Amino acid sequence: MSAFVPWKILHIDLSTGIPTLMAEPKYQAIYAVFWWYGIPLGHQEIFAAQLPMPATQLANLALQAIVPAVGDRLFAQGFKQPLPVISPNPARDTHVDFQTLMALKEPLKQLQERCSQPVNGSISVIVCTRNRPEELAICLRSLQNLSPPPQQIIVVDNAPNSDVTQQLVAQFLSIQYILEQRPGLSVARNTGICHSKGDIIAFTDDDVVVHPNWMARLQQGFQDPRVMAVTGLMLPAELETEAQLIFHRGIGGPGWGYRRMTFDPQFFADMKSRGVPVWRIGAGANMAFRRKVFDLVGYFDERLGAGASGCSEDSEFWYRILAEGWCCCYEPSAVIYHYHRRDMDSLKHQAYQYMRGHVAALLVQFAKYKHWGNIRRLLIALPRYYQQRFLQELKTGFQPKQSSLLREIAGCLAGVKYYINNRRVMPFQSVPSRPHITEKTGVGGRVRGVGVKRNSCRK
Amino acid sequence: MSYRIIEIEVTEPLPTISLSNKDTGMALILRRKHRPIGFLMEPLSANSQITPENLAQLIAKEAGAKMLQETIREELTALEHQQEDAKTWRDAFPSLTVAICTKDRPENLARCLQSLLNLQVSALKWEILVIDNAPSDERTKELVASYPQVRYVLEPKPGLNFARNCALYSANGELLAYLDDDVVVDRKWLEGLMEAWAENPDAAAFTGLVLPYELVTDAQILFEARGGFRRGFEKIRYGQILPGNPLHPCGAGIFGAGCNMSLRRDFLVKIGGFDEALDTGATLPGGGDLDIFYRVIRAGYPLVYEPKYLVFHQHRREYAQLRRQYWTWGLGFMAFVTKSHQSDPPQRVQLRRLVWWWFKDQLKQLKNSFGNHHVLPPNMILAELWGGIIGILGEYPRSLKRVEKIRSQFS
Repeated sequence: MSAFVPWKILHIDLSTGIPTLMAEPKYQAIYAVFWWYGIPLGHQEIFAAQLPMPATQLANLALQAIVPAVGDRLFAQGFKQPLPVISPNPARDTHVDFQTLMALKEPLKQLQERCSQPVNGSISVIVCTRNRPEELAICLRSLQNLSPPPQQIIVVDNAPNSDVTQQLVAQFLSIQYILEQRPGLSVARNTGICHSKGDIIAFTDDDVVVHPNWMARLQQGFQDPRVMAVTGLMLPAELETEAQLIFHRGIGGPGWGYRRMTFDPQFFADMKSRGVPVWRIGAGANMAFRRKVFDLVGYFDERLGAGASGCSEDSEFWYRILAEGWCCCYEPSAVIYHYHRRDMDSLKHQAYQYMRGHVAALLVQFAKYKHWGNIRRLLIALPRYYQQRFLQELKTGFQPKQSSLLREIAGCLAGVKYYINNRRVMPFQSVPSRPHITEKTGVGGRVRGVGVKRNSCRK
Repeated sequence: MSYRIIEIEVTEPLPTISLSNKDTGMALILRRKHRPIGFLMEPLSANSQITPENLAQLIAKEAGAKMLQETIREELTALEHQQEDAKTWRDAFPSLTVAICTKDRPENLARCLQSLLNLQVSALKWEILVIDNAPSDERTKELVASYPQVRYVLEPKPGLNFARNCALYSANGELLAYLDDDVVVDRKWLEGLMEAWAENPDAAAFTGLVLPYELVTDAQILFEARGGFRRGFEKIRYGQILPGNPLHPCGAGIFGAGCNMSLRRDFLVKIGGFDEALDTGATLPGGGDLDIFYRVIRAGYPLVYEPKYLVFHQHRREYAQLRRQYWTWGLGFMAFVTKSHQSDPPQRVQLRRLVWWWFKDQLKQLKNSFGNHHVLPPNMILAELWGGIIGILGEYPRSLKRVEKIRSQFS
């Protein structure tokens, strides 16, 4: 670990001019993110050997990086981010019209106007935490800087070992503290939902810092009434250790890009037979929902997520939203900065948890909808993927210390076992503290009125 | 077969293109406010008509992203008031020597010279040198005599790199722009070079875009359809590493082409000029540009590719010439690799990997070609492959001996 040279994360807002990059002896590379008045548009990796770099050259790199995102936002056609499907539907995007391009004046200024449309509706922010007061303090301070401020911020303290978190939250006047003794992230989130008042409920984790415009931009993702869930861009807060870089490059790495994506029933139908890649929709640390979606498709499955199966409670929820005929929207201008795990052991443990949760979610999804694509992914796609990765790693010299491969495979098997042990457990347990939740929505099973919802989605 | 080459300025009303009965297609050179932004070739039947609407669609598909990029660039530039800086950049441009190396092709040379003399070069210190390389007659000398602004230098030792070194030691400019005699410079050629210089004051070498001068034979169309000398429409600054390319800088072919390159004179002098055992003329007509680009990067300097620094190259017209050109690419490439393997021990592993990759890639192309999935017929790829095999089997040491003999003949 001592040999690892960290990366520098550099945020460059093009509206304030482009700097000349000087040599960076302490870093191996710069991860340069380009913004325009708080809208993230692209990034470039610049290695120490490329420095110093004149501003003009950095401007060229920035231009190449931001064109797709600018085009995506300004034009109805062209520059669209392809959805993660096996065979993209060519009718979904064509190139931009020549006359539109020629008529274009001051694209960046237009972009700014489009992204600063006022939003209305109340919003509640829920942060679930467990025994991480230092990280939480940083997160809460960033939430205080949100503009405009949310109607409500709730911290759900999940099965804490001490009252440190409670004392911390008490220092923030505007933040509401709720204790949830039953462990599990899904449990904590469901409790948070029950105490929330906003029309839109946004979630973030305790190990992030949010951008001041985070919430307003998440809200803009809800303009389309079919959209029930919005996710946003997760940027690394730091890349100081090897584990953080590996996480960034791998699981959380390329993120989801700087262009908007709408995951609609067509996307779901395209991928149903192969297992819908709902995990590509976003991250639980940066997501928001319309309040009414919880009545429509149920709550978070309490068998899934950190503290239970390990993860994928978010993606399983998106799966239900899509399966019931609604849409999810990825809105990259809603930015959070995530502190990835710093050491290799936690990274490997995380990889284990991810796969355990992922496999459990596949089985939950199959059990609920009988979509065989989930099984296909479990029995064909995942084994094939690990076989290829194993061969690849053998070729490049297998390093058990560096590789999380074995832990991931173990995670997959553990996920199957976990599901079998918990298959009869109710996905959501109604408790007295949730008076307005009826059994109908709570079971989250075959909710009545599905046909009506489908119709409303297709209008 | 013959393709019509048409220049389109996208900011002006699009024309209706009518092909003649001899045309079998068209090639579009797209510009936005003079800056090249795209190139496309389209096979068409004779006498076809392309309406402005069809043209607009073709252009938007080919260069839509680039057009948007240029619009954003304009907005950012206006924001930073770089217009004023541009003037100071111009003042910072050094004295320039344009060196054209030629041998027995006065018609080509006259065309090239004329394109240079048409440039607007107010307030620029520059000179044009013609290096007449081992001529068999006086025609070049006589031609140059008719241009008082152009200086004639004779290099009796045959070989392109002899001529290039001769230019180096005859030049007065701080920056040396080399041209082959079979190119014509674009009207924005010099501005492109100035722009690249201003944007990269620390670079030691500049390369530019090369587009076809004509596409009137099958061989020329084939060559251009395979990519020709094109290296894209983005500015690129090559440094010590190239993300995503572990063999950098050994794969020197991507940096540009020797028919349109500029180097700082003091840098060239410092590293001892061009390697005279590469680009030696008929016997080993390649590898010289690869070698100099590679040495620029290895000496620690940036190398800059600028699409606005544009020339038009007259490709080989005959199939036999084209096949020979591919053969020389293979030969020159391997001669360069063998030389660098000898002279640059730290890069040996990389270079060996590059050779391995090259043969694998050639075989893959050959396979595609036999399966009709390649623009080139198999005999062209075989020619390049064969050139590579001859090249790796001691072509560079043989060339060294030949060059030594030439030197002793002329000393």
